[in-house]
Amino acid sequence: MSDDLFAQNYFEIFGLPVSVDIDVAAMSASYHELQKKYHPDRFANGDEQQSRLAMQATSLINSAFETLKSPLSRAQYLLKLKGVDTSTETDTTMDGAFLMEQMELRESLENVRQQADPLSTLDKMASDLKKQMKQLMNQFQQSYENNELEAARESIRKMQFILKAQNEVKQISEQLEDEML
Amino acid sequence: MALLQIAEPGQSGKPHERKFAVGIDLGTTNSLVATVRSGKSDTLPDENGEHLLPSAVRYTPTETIVGKAAREAAVEDPHNTIISVKRLMGRGVEDLKLLGEQLPYEFVESETSVPRIKTVAGDKSAVEVSADILKALKKRGEETLGDELVGAVITVPAYFDDAQRQATKDAARLADLNVLRLLNEPTAAAVAYGLDSGQEGVVAIYDLGGGTFDISILRLNKGVFEVMATGGDSALGGDDFDHAIAEWIMQQAKISNDQLDASRSRLLLQKACEAKEALADAESVDITIDLDEQQTWYGSLNRDTLNELIDPLIGKTLLSCRRALRDAEVDKDEIIDVVMVGGSTRSLRVREKVGEFFECEPLVSIDPDKVVAIGAAIQANALAGNDPDGEMLLLDVIPLSLGIETMGGLTEKIIHRNTPIPVSRAQEFTTYKDGQTAMAVHVVQGERELVDDNRSLARFELRGFPPKVAGALRIRVTFQVDADGLLSVSAMEETSGVEASVEVKPSYGLSDGEIESMLKASMEHARDDIEARSLREQQVEAARVIEALDSALAEDGDALLSDEEKQVILAARDALVQSKDMATTSQQVKDAIAAVEKASAAYVAKRMNSSVQSTMAGHKVEEFKTESED
Repeated sequence: MSDDLFAQNYFEIFGLPVSVDIDVAAMSASYHELQKKYHPDRFANGDEQQSRLAMQATSLINSAFETLKSPLSRAQYLLKLKGVDTSTETDTTMDGAFLMEQMELRESLENVRQQADPLSTLDKMASDLKKQMKQLMNQFQQSYENNELEAARESIRKMQFILKAQNEVKQISEQLEDEML
Repeated sequence: MALLQIAEPGQSGKPHERKFAVGIDLGTTNSLVATVRSGKSDTLPDENGEHLLPSAVRYTPTETIVGKAAREAAVEDPHNTIISVKRLMGRGVEDLKLLGEQLPYEFVESETSVPRIKTVAGDKSAVEVSADILKALKKRGEETLGDELVGAVITVPAYFDDAQRQATKDAARLADLNVLRLLNEPTAAAVAYGLDSGQEGVVAIYDLGGGTFDISILRLNKGVFEVMATGGDSALGGDDFDHAIAEWIMQQAKISNDQLDASRSRLLLQKACEAKEALADAESVDITIDLDEQQTWYGSLNRDTLNELIDPLIGKTLLSCRRALRDAEVDKDEIIDVVMVGGSTRSLRVREKVGEFFECEPLVSIDPDKVVAIGAAIQANALAGNDPDGEMLLLDVIPLSLGIETMGGLTEKIIHRNTPIPVSRAQEFTTYKDGQTAMAVHVVQGERELVDDNRSLARFELRGFPPKVAGALRIRVTFQVDADGLLSVSAMEETSGVEASVEVKPSYGLSDGEIESMLKASMEHARDDIEARSLREQQVEAARVIEALDSALAEDGDALLSDEEKQVILAARDALVQSKDMATTSQQVKDAIAAVEKASAAYVAKRMNSSVQSTMAGHKVEEFKTESED
């Protein structure tokens, strides 16, 4: 088992260029090839060290895959490769318009249960958030490709807000569905 | 000269090098064992041709009875007959109340939170009862294959949490089975389905068993079985249908809870289960219950009422389906097949509702009882190394999020549900007090925000940090989930590089010490078992010797033996008869058999001579010569 894997960045693991846009189908194919090579099931007859290595290798491959699969975590990883850590953001200063929008969204989320058809309102919110996420992703891509890292970081911070809102919409939808049954 | 051996195409050229491995479906109601032979995976029957082994264990003072005979004793001997033990795996004493049923067992107070059932053969934990079922399956496998097993793949519900998985692995250890892998039941079913149908694309496996429900969405692509999302309920199954029907009978017949003893409540459940099964074919079924010696209640249950009783339960399963689809980010129309697995998918109502939900006709053509074991055997065969060029690969996920307790009793998720496994995540902690040298970490599993609403898995104590000011230390805790879905934790203090020792206190599991002592006890027990079996074998052998001797003596005893010679033989024979009936050890019977053989040696020699002479009479020597050279 080669240990090159552990010296590579996530893009290199799958043989992909380091970039915002990736070929998801190529990544999936490469993911399966790597799993076929390194999965612990391939070393079921091996010694303890081999199976431990296999577990570590597939854990790494899985982390890489999960990170690159989602556009936001992929963007964060791109900045991390440039030395900018966005995983523990403490800076909450942001443009006022965006924050206002977010607060309004929170309020309507809190009141969604009183609506006549809360599930379709939630569906509408989800699709709006998806659009917003896409726009921010485009902004990120521009900033990143122009090497404007501070602006790129700002986009990520906004996307983290959107992701939180998306999760909340999802959670409330699930709760409502539970109650309806 | 030996003939050259030519193997059939597809068969192993070196049969003696083949390693025998089995797949085991350890179910709530029934269990199965399967293996791959001549390239085909099949479940193994017992000596009566039965493939399903009822997951029931009855303890008597002298014997452990597993299977059909045990299940038949469930009403008569409810306290010592354990059924549906899978529902107790990995559960704590306080969970038992939440299972929503009156269990007929007497639980004993114990120091750990693992419940133990009081039986005439001593206190039994769910792990030990499961181990007894596994032992019976292991024996069936070894007897059928005529060799020792290198290991087994044991299936578990995909929605089993870490404690339930660990309990299953502990049971295998107690049964002296080498676990090659814990495999999720729907994934096993997908393997059997995928290899059989040759289909590629996204499939949903709807697996409703006796006590558990799983839904898994998988992508099948060139031998890779990739689980995209899984969901379910590890305490929902056909048993719950029976309980709902039993409660309905109680209402109709006006039976109150305090009228029910353990035996009657078992009887009621049995009647409920029979009614459920009858309604698969009939529109309505008659039920009679003896209320007491004088009165009998007559009632009837029709399909509409049954549907009303079970619809809420089916609704719960569909909720899990909805969630799994969302987690997999898959639309219903992308699904090429919805495969029905588990005995409870025989229910027409379940099929109807699942069809409505997925907007397609569910696939019911595969045997819902056997498919999981068959898939597990295919995986076992591959893991044992019998299929070195195989392309098959199973990629599974963790069913429930793993997290830790943070300030205020909140859960911080470290690994999210439906993350592919194996997976490892590290989390950094720091000290909050000056001179702090230890730290407690509480690991939980579940989706809820409050720690108390999730499942407590373990508490870890990290010790041995160098004393420093608050916040100066960085403790990196790594959570590793292996391919079996089992969690382990390691910790390192980063500023000094000191590996902190992790002390695991499983919240609901057995400690290593407990398992060791159980292993010891079962080994001693096994010695008793071996001796008992060997005594029985010698007794059978003795009976055979006596019979053979008697018939020989009747035939030619008087012709070949003097009176004196005959008396010596008869004396040894009588001693053997006595030994056969009275002996307490196998050695005593063995000695008596040897004595008979010795006493009759000369007689046997004479008989052989006389029979050879009579056989050879009329033949030429040459005829015998060619035969012997063959």
